[in-house]
Parts: sequence; structure tokens; C-alpha cells
Amino acid sequence: MIINGRGISPGTAKGKIALCDDYISPLGEMGKDGKIKSGKCENLEFKGKIFAFKGGRGSTVGSYVLLELKENLTSPIAIINEKAELVILTGAIISEIPMIDGIPLNILRNDDEAKIDGKSGILELLGVVQKEVSTVYLFHGDKLLVLLRSNHVSSFQNQYSAISGHIEEGETPEEAGRREVLEETGISDVEIEKMGKPFPVRWENIVFVVHPMLARTKSDKITLNWENREYRWINVDELSRLNTVPRLKEALEELLKS
Amino acid sequence: MYLTQEEERIYNGEKGEAQAIAIRLLVSIGEINGAEQLIPIKSAHISGVSYKNIGDGGLKFLKKIADKVKVPTTLNPLGFDLERNGPVEVDRDFREKQLEIIRTFISMGIKESFTCTPYYFYQQPKYGDHVAWAESSALIYANAILGARTNREGGPSALAAAIIGKTPNFGLHLDNNRIADYEVAVDGRLDYSGAAALGLYLGANYPGKIPRLVGVDYLRDFELKAFGAAIAASSSTSMFHVENRTPDDILNRGRKFEKVVVDYNELKNLMEEKSSHEKPELIAIGCPHLSKDEIDYIASLVRGKKKDKEVEVFLFASRETIKNSSESIKIIEDFGAKVFADTCMVVAPLSKKYHKTAINSGKASFYLPMKEYGGQEIIFRNFNDLLRWAVIDN
Repeated sequence: MIINGRGISPGTAKGKIALCDDYISPLGEMGKDGKIKSGKCENLEFKGKIFAFKGGRGSTVGSYVLLELKENLTSPIAIINEKAELVILTGAIISEIPMIDGIPLNILRNDDEAKIDGKSGILELLGVVQKEVSTVYLFHGDKLLVLLRSNHVSSFQNQYSAISGHIEEGETPEEAGRREVLEETGISDVEIEKMGKPFPVRWENIVFVVHPMLARTKSDKITLNWENREYRWINVDELSRLNTVPRLKEALEELLKS
Repeated sequence: MYLTQEEERIYNGEKGEAQAIAIRLLVSIGEINGAEQLIPIKSAHISGVSYKNIGDGGLKFLKKIADKVKVPTTLNPLGFDLERNGPVEVDRDFREKQLEIIRTFISMGIKESFTCTPYYFYQQPKYGDHVAWAESSALIYANAILGARTNREGGPSALAAAIIGKTPNFGLHLDNNRIADYEVAVDGRLDYSGAAALGLYLGANYPGKIPRLVGVDYLRDFELKAFGAAIAASSSTSMFHVENRTPDDILNRGRKFEKVVVDYNELKNLMEEKSSHEKPELIAIGCPHLSKDEIDYIASLVRGKKKDKEVEVFLFASRETIKNSSESIKIIEDFGAKVFADTCMVVAPLSKKYHKTAINSGKASFYLPMKEYGGQEIIFRNFNDLLRWAVIDN
């Protein structure tokens, strides 16, 4: 799949991803042997890999550390940040290491095969496919419908979710949402109130691009199909106590806020 | 960001690797800060000169990017005085590496200024000039007192701007971002160290915000220099205004600000809290580097007097300032103090020899007690108070 980030340091690279869900100070944390020396990602090898981490921190001399690693042949072959800042950006450019930012780390996995173009900002995850899904937060009064996904669905089995399903070809996210509500609950009186910003969620070799939406119904009679094995009408604050699919609560909070 | 065809060619490496790296750095910094284009600059000032700070990696960077600069460019201080070899000995390897760094800078056409006050004798930007200056005390002086426009550059970005002759247009290059955020009045009259203490106080309590000082238009440029150096050391604030005094105060006209009143006693307490009560081994003056006026004033205070042998007195200024103050320098040296160029009390490894240092600088009071700077015991007082330690009564 193709993800559009922002180009920071030009050049291209292809290789495996080394992932660290933290900020990195090159000075002190990136060892000459090509491994992380301390913190959450201690011992992670970035040498010869596309090193993906949140962003830089620490001394500005850290920029020069990247240059020394490059000359020592122990640097990453490319860098991905969520948000670039001066230390890493400067280091990548002076060391001529391709770099992009604007990539959410939660869609990456260690050892993913990837191609990166540091000028256009494009990241290609090889062997990873993208699927568009609609997720409907359905309210009846102030109660939110959550469904426990069955053993028969292909992803996120036995986790609580909102009403969710693939967007078929030629369908808009909203049309897919209405169809999924009907299929999974039997409810047809649905008023879509608000569409949220799409966000990605990783499952094995799939990145689901989720189109969230807020909907209301006057009906509270639910007829489940094979995809779910239980339903509950809950208060929103109960969400945090359930084992849910990724970002279910966060995406709802954003929808309610916007 | 929009690039001209010429800039695009530089970006793609048609003018060589050094220029390509330089412009890529500027463009990416512009991108992450929302700049739309690069704009021409009139001058640059480079930090990251000391081998102690940039190390072997920094030296490699300089060699890689070494290309002729397109605008007048000056350099920050380094760890020792190149001619006088003080104030503290450095070993031969360190000296060799330092000289290699300097040779690389000189090969690029950069001036051997080695000062944090390039605006004395080396280059004085005019009101409205866009420049790319590193060194927080210098760039806040350029912004606030001279009315030039610069962001808070780091060593690499200032050097890249010098090589291309341009900088990305964002931040303090735009009038809207130069307007004050709050207004400050002081209950009491400020002197040099009081102004510096106010800078530390505001930097700690309103970090990154632009203050407008009211009722202090009596402060002279060198006192505002001390204020700016202190607020820019203790926070990311890179601009300030003084009512009826600094040129960009016109941007604040007709606006209302949150008002802060600072009690002078609070500033005195701040200085006392940082200060030890023992007799100092060293009195260090000139952070930022002294002006000719300051040197002349110091000379007037020590003329014909003798220094107590138990206390060293070091003054720091640029080569040109020292050259232009030769009479006063003679008086000061006759008194028994030493004057150094090229270096300063923050970048010279003073703590190798001195552990109790008396200073009148807010910026130095911020750095010297830090572990990386040797964890010095300091005495932070006004110059006249410090002088009492050093002058033998007769």
C-alpha cells in the first residue's frame, strides 16, 4: 500500500523497518554499532534499516551523530518520523539519509518491507494491502451500540466494536455505513449525523482505513447476523472498560468533539 | 514550499553537494514551519565553533558543507584565546582540532570575529534587514534593539543560510509574530545585573513569550544586551520590546496587553539565591562580550588602583573591540586584570582551574552552575559590588 507522508530529506531506500514507538536522542541513544543503547527500544538494531520512530529529542549535536554513523556504515538507510524536528531533520539532510514524516507509527510493524522516497514523501509498504471500512457509532438516545465480534470474522475476533464493514466498490462511506447497520443489526431507520476524519488501523498485513461516523436511530431492537455474537447498549464512559478494537474510544471522542 | 527554478537546480545538486545540502536543510526547516518561500538575507552569524561543542562529527559536517558564503558572516567564540592562549590551558590535540575547524570556516570566507557580539565593529544589521543569526544573545539583540529580523537559528541552519544567502520566511521574519505577548513593569530601578535578573525571571515564568518592558526606557543598550542574553538563555524567547525605546515597538501601538508587575526585591532575591557567600577565586566579566563603552567604564573605575593578588579578574570582548579600546585596555591591564578575545566564560573550560566565579551576567549565572560547565559556585552581583573583592583599599 502507498502512504503519503511529507518529504524531508531527498533520496530513496528499500528495506526492512525497525520500529520504535518513542522519541530518540541520537547523542547517547544511537550507538556506533547501529543499535539503540537505552530507553524503551534498547537493543533495537537500526543499522541498514528504515528506522521509524516518533521524532527527535536531546542535544542538537545529535545531528552530527547521524553523520558519524553514516560514515561508519552503521546508520539507518532511511528515517520515518511522526513529526520531524530540527535535530533529526538536520542530521538526515547533512548525512544524505532519505527521510519523511507525517506517518502514523501504528500502521507499521517491525520487519515490514518498505520503500521510501524522501523527496515526494511517499512510503510504500510492500505486501501490505489497504482496505476501506466504515465504522458507525450508532446512538439510541444517549446509549451507544457496541457489538462483540464473532469468531468467524477475519479480523479483531472477540473484541468489542461499533458497526463496521468494508466499503464496496462504487459505494460511498456513508452508503456502506447504512448497509452495514442494516446487515449487522436489522435497523433501517438511521440518521447519519456527522462524518469523521478517516484514520488507519493495522491488522496483520492489512491497513484498514476507517471512516468513522456518528448516527442515530429511534429503534433499539437488534437482530444480529453471523459477524457478531453479542450486543450491548452502553454509556460512552463504559467504553474504556471493554476490550475493543484499536482506537474505538479515541475516534468517538474526536467525532463528538468536532 | 515554493522554490524558484534556480533554487530547484541547487536542490537537485547542480551546484554541488555543499549547496544542495544547505538548501535542503533550509527547505525542510521551512516546510515544517509553514514557510512559503526563501527570502534573501543580509548577513549570518554562526554558532557551534568550539571543538568541545561540535566534536569530530561537527568537523566532518563543516568539511562536507564547506562552500563560499554569499553574505557577510561572523563566528561565535571558541574555547581559548588564539593569540594569548588563555584563560585556561587546552591540550595539543584539542588545539589542533580547533584550528582545523577555524581553517575550514576561513576557507568559506567567514570572518574571524569569534564573538557573541558581532554587532560591535563587525556587522550591524539595519532596521528591517532579514538576517540568519545563531547565538541566542546576539539574535535577540539583532531583533529587539536593532530591529533586524532573524529566527532563532542553530549552527547548521545559520551556516546553510550563509551558503545560500537566503532563509525560509517564517516566525520572526513576519511582523505578526513580532508583536508583544505581555507587558512588564518593574517596581524599582534596574541596573545591568538587575536587567539580567529580570531576563532570567521572565524566561522562567513566561518562556517563549515576547515581553514589552514599560517604564524602563532609561536602560542603555549594554543593559538591554544583558537582559536579552538572560531571557534568551533561560527560554526560547528571541524578541522583546521596550516602550519608547526599541524600533519595533510601533508594532504594539494601540494594542492591549496582559500586565505583569515585577517587584525589584524579587529580582534581588533571585540573585542572592544563586550566589555563594565565599570570596571568589575569579571575577569574570563580559557575557555577552563587552562593548567599547563598557570597557571604558571599567577602566574609569580601576584607573590607578591595584588588584588583590588572591582574586583573578578576566574580561572578555572581541578582537576588534579590544583593538578599538587600547587606552582603556592598558589601564585595566595595569590594574592587574586580564583581557581575552576569541573566547568567553561559557565556552572556555574555566572550571578546570576556577570553582568559585563571580559574575554580573544573568546568562553566565544560568550556565556556569550546570554540571556540563563544571558545576561552578557563583556569585551573581552587580559589577561595582564585585569590584570590592578585587580592589586593594589604599
